[in-house]
Amino acid sequence: MASDLSRFLSDLEGLLGKKGLLTDSAARRVYSQDSSHLVLGQPVAVALPQTAEQISNIITLCNRANVPIVCRGSGTGLSGGAVPSEGALVLGLSRMTQAEGTVNQKSDLQLNFDPILPSPTDPTMNVEAGVLNEEITHLASSQGLHFAPDPSSQAAATLGGNIAENAGGPHCLRFGVTLQHLRNLNWIDHQGNKQITGRGLPVERGLDLTSLLCGSEGTLGVVTSAQVKLTPNPEFTITLLVFFPDLNDATESVVALLGAGLQPVAVEMVDQTMLLAVEEAFQFGFRTDVEGAMIAEFTGREFEVKNDVAKAVHLFEGKGANEIRQAEDEKDRLELWKCRKKAFGAVGRLAPRYVTMDVVVPLGCLPDLVRQIQVIKKRHGVQVATAFHAGDGNLHPGVHYDDRKPDQTEAAHRAADEIIQTALEMDGSCTGEHGVGIEKTHAISWQLSVPAAHLNLKIKKCFDPNARFNPGKMLPSKDAKFPNRKPVPREVVFRWKSLSVTAPANTLLAEIQDEALSHGLCLAVGAHAKARDNTLGFGSAGTVGDLLKHLVPGPSVLARGHARDYLLELWAQNSQNVVFHTGAPVFKNVAGYGLSQALCGSGNNFAEPLAATFQLKPVAESVLIMEFQFNATSDNWSQSLQNLVQELPRDDVASPSIILDLTLGQVFLIVAGRQHVLGLPALAARTKKILPEFNLMDEQILKYPQLRDFLVSSGLPSWTRSSNQWTLWSHPGNKTASFLPPTNSPRLIWQAIPAGWWTCETPSQPGPQSGDWFADSFFSDGDFTSPPPPAPGVSQPLLARLKNAFDSLNQQDFATNEGTKEDTL
Amino acid sequence: MTSSSEWQSSLPELLRRCVGCGLCLPHCATWAVTGNEVHSPRGRLMLLGDLLDDPSSATRAAYADAFDGCLGCRACESACPGGVPFELLEHGQNLTAGMGVQPSRWVSTLIRHLDSLLVLNFLRRVGKVSRQILKAIWGQHWRRRLNGAGWKLGTLVRLLGSLPAGPSSDQELVEQLDQLSGAKSKGEFVLPQLQPIQQDCVFFEGCANEGLLPETSRRFRELLKAMGCTVHTLASQQCCGAIADHNNQPGKASRQKRINLKVLTEESCSDFPVVTEAAGCSAHLGQYNQDMQNRTQNAVVFLHELMNTESGNKLFSNLRPIPLKVVYHDPCHAQHGQGIYEQPRQLLKKIPGLKLVDPYESQICCGSAGVWSLTHGELSQELGSRKSKNLLHTGASLVVTANPGCQGQISDALNLSSRPIPVISLTDLLWYAFLQKKGLPEGSP
Repeated sequence: MASDLSRFLSDLEGLLGKKGLLTDSAARRVYSQDSSHLVLGQPVAVALPQTAEQISNIITLCNRANVPIVCRGSGTGLSGGAVPSEGALVLGLSRMTQAEGTVNQKSDLQLNFDPILPSPTDPTMNVEAGVLNEEITHLASSQGLHFAPDPSSQAAATLGGNIAENAGGPHCLRFGVTLQHLRNLNWIDHQGNKQITGRGLPVERGLDLTSLLCGSEGTLGVVTSAQVKLTPNPEFTITLLVFFPDLNDATESVVALLGAGLQPVAVEMVDQTMLLAVEEAFQFGFRTDVEGAMIAEFTGREFEVKNDVAKAVHLFEGKGANEIRQAEDEKDRLELWKCRKKAFGAVGRLAPRYVTMDVVVPLGCLPDLVRQIQVIKKRHGVQVATAFHAGDGNLHPGVHYDDRKPDQTEAAHRAADEIIQTALEMDGSCTGEHGVGIEKTHAISWQLSVPAAHLNLKIKKCFDPNARFNPGKMLPSKDAKFPNRKPVPREVVFRWKSLSVTAPANTLLAEIQDEALSHGLCLAVGAHAKARDNTLGFGSAGTVGDLLKHLVPGPSVLARGHARDYLLELWAQNSQNVVFHTGAPVFKNVAGYGLSQALCGSGNNFAEPLAATFQLKPVAESVLIMEFQFNATSDNWSQSLQNLVQELPRDDVASPSIILDLTLGQVFLIVAGRQHVLGLPALAARTKKILPEFNLMDEQILKYPQLRDFLVSSGLPSWTRSSNQWTLWSHPGNKTASFLPPTNSPRLIWQAIPAGWWTCETPSQPGPQSGDWFADSFFSDGDFTSPPPPAPGVSQPLLARLKNAFDSLNQQDFATNEGTKEDTL
Repeated sequence: MTSSSEWQSSLPELLRRCVGCGLCLPHCATWAVTGNEVHSPRGRLMLLGDLLDDPSSATRAAYADAFDGCLGCRACESACPGGVPFELLEHGQNLTAGMGVQPSRWVSTLIRHLDSLLVLNFLRRVGKVSRQILKAIWGQHWRRRLNGAGWKLGTLVRLLGSLPAGPSSDQELVEQLDQLSGAKSKGEFVLPQLQPIQQDCVFFEGCANEGLLPETSRRFRELLKAMGCTVHTLASQQCCGAIADHNNQPGKASRQKRINLKVLTEESCSDFPVVTEAAGCSAHLGQYNQDMQNRTQNAVVFLHELMNTESGNKLFSNLRPIPLKVVYHDPCHAQHGQGIYEQPRQLLKKIPGLKLVDPYESQICCGSAGVWSLTHGELSQELGSRKSKNLLHTGASLVVTANPGCQGQISDALNLSSRPIPVISLTDLLWYAFLQKKGLPEGSP
């Protein structure tokens, strides 16, 4: 054995050099822990590779020597995901700091877009796993862009770690968690083979391996680099600091704020104990005589932000806020965020140790959970300091203890478990962004129903049959006692306070939109009106089941994402009619693999969707619609439209679309706005300047609810409502992107989010076309087509194993470990 | 400072302030270039915890490299939300002193004598001649061409390249800045005697400043005098002791401290602020005792305070324009050790036409770190290269700093880069900005 080990180590040293392999006692000690303070044992060594080839070879060597692999970024995780078991190899990715295809310097990272040429797709960047989160933003900053996921550890955390945990952060309230900013992953499988997850398109149908790998805590493979989506920096920002004498008032006001349709980018909160620690650490000047303090940030165009802030201030005052401050300047604002982001580090001043939880509940339950935590705190006689991503319903109560006092330690863990159970009783999740790691393996079996737990275990086996990657993490024990399954919903249930809707698969999407619209909300995937003539253009979208199977409802306006972005939980059944449920009706959830997202868009090849819960978003106040005539035979129109695309706001509220009919020389522009009096007329004026040779035929600003009538009435060309052939042209987003897709179709619709061109013709050969444009036929003769074949580079044997995993899920497998607790829905 | 036994007993509690959040990592220069967490503040604190539990020589030897690698830049202390004091890492260094990899004999000999003005004067002269010879043989880019030379020659070349060197005459300085900014002041401009400020100060020379950048040191005194300050110099001044302290020569360090304290507390100057240019010296002098902590002022802070007086403000409002994009490099001992950040920026912003930019990773050490650059040559050069890239990325045409070590290190790194822009001290730039056209009535700003 000893000689096997020494051979293994010498092979590794041969591969990585002396600096790339650490075997000394100091390294083994330091890498045995991460930010969680949990310890399993000491690693046999620490490998610090610099290339994907080296990682591939390391995996081969580990297979030969039967050594487990634990990936690590900067070790800032809070659930022990990067803690090695005794004798494992730590695979530290901190030296993987290049962009794919370039060498030497981070400053040479390849930007996948040309800032000068207007691009029909989103800006993206290829980044290796060891690049720090903040550094991505730094690299993109010269282009006025940033990487939106911003966990509090972002100064130190690596992209690889963010992907492993599907990290969130304050601003994911508006921009979404890490998964929503990933286009494609390069990863290495259990045999050391390089794999990719797809084409990196904004809309990519098929089983989404990115959703499975993201948040998998290093248990499925090693992600070496990713193509990430970049987000435009806001034009204007106001950050409020609001103090509430009563914590309950503070949490109630968060629910009211989001329920009022205001769209803050972040709503953070801390309780009094946390406030005291932060004030001691940073002397920011926080008042500490209050039970809660809130940071609420609004971004966008100046007048809109000011308008929103005025409404928010009025609301907070009505809810009992006793002081509201506004960050004076950018420096003040950054300082405020620094205080928030370093809050947990500051807790070291209060107590030597703490259990940090990461529970998440439906937004409407937030005040109740916070009240319950106060009760639990008193019952166990423990000190709790809480920081919340309040807008997401995600709380981080930290229960303090002194680990030198066994009774305190025990009380702290008992209180922590009770907080988790309370959140689960509210249909929440035990972890929203920190991950299960080793800290919550007991709690995940309180949450996952038995078929979902078994599916998770089967998926692990498909990716990693020899349990090489991060064994003992994240997954429940097969023999645990699991709660009963949530019954499949039979009717539509809106939870207005929690901003979500649950609906059976056969519900017409248009019905959901109609009802939601009456509350100023929508499912932000487009399709806002009831079908009138059973066609597949604007105003008709099929059912929730279609949306789950195919991601987008067809050509749409004012979409802010696709179904995966808003899907919270899913009920589905496999080919043996075994029903399973995944996810939870909460905005963030990393308990188990991202099965709901992975299945969404895969047709019914793996499972048949039965029902789902989606997040609802506030609708914009108004919509600008402009119609122009132009000479389609001249050469200039395309350039002018490119200039327009460059100028159009790309934020999630505006979500612009362009409808183009080259036969008639007709263009429609549709853009949403927050405040019609100021913003949209200004945009209309700018548009007219950008398109001087285009003749304006019509210009109107509609209130959002009027839009559905416009869509189904004669407002738009008939082909937008009546075509039975629709093809979506997507581009992975790189410098080669031409403005128009390679099609002769005279009828095109451009939508900004998810980016792509629709044509109402089916290409003769679906699939990759010239350049990198990919044509996916969504509808042919009025029917949804099956998802296209997977991209080259996606492992076919893996997909086959995954298919088998779903198909083989069998009732008999888990008949014995289903709980007896009564179901609630 | 608390007594030794009090300090010892407070160690475990102080150590427990570290919650392991890892926010110190991106601030630590050695972690940034190695990606190895053993060479990170959090890693070192974990090891210190073990050392406190088990101070056996085997453990100390095993962990020595981790502490030996620490540059002492204190960036981690600035970053730490838990308030873990840097002294913990120093304690780890003391526990493991002499147990790690030792530098070669000639490097240790050199290091031990770096606080000798005689040696530094000699180094400056030899350095100047050697650089001229190398330039004659290998041309303008001799440093780049000789980079990567064999080990011993390589170390020598690096030492020559990173030895702080400023313009050796006022004329040279004026020519250099004239050329950069497109001005024509050579021979026509002089430092006016404005003298509206009445302020006494003691000037503490600092070994590296006086030995390697004597002209800059002189210009600083001239500048103070021109403003009206009375500058007292000390006849029997010693090194502040920072170098001996770094070299684990506590006896020598305390001897130097004793002598310095004696002269600094002499009746004739005991009330005046003690001003010194090098950030390392002002940090170390401030640690002598409470009185010295109150009296010691880094030159940048002193100038900044003068600027904020009524008459000083008038002086600084009439500087000559220098239309340059300038990037300021913060010396670690100023930025982290003494919290000096805004002062140099506010001084620079007083110069009309000057556009001040901040580099990325301004919190990270340039890799000079006193004698560390000699004992950890390879890492030091990597850090220099990283720093120079970040400085060049700003698009600035001039780097300004306020510490001789940083000046030499960055200058060397820039000479190895594709665009070697000059590095000068803040003093020199301000001196140039104060110049006035000959013939203007004296004292008129």
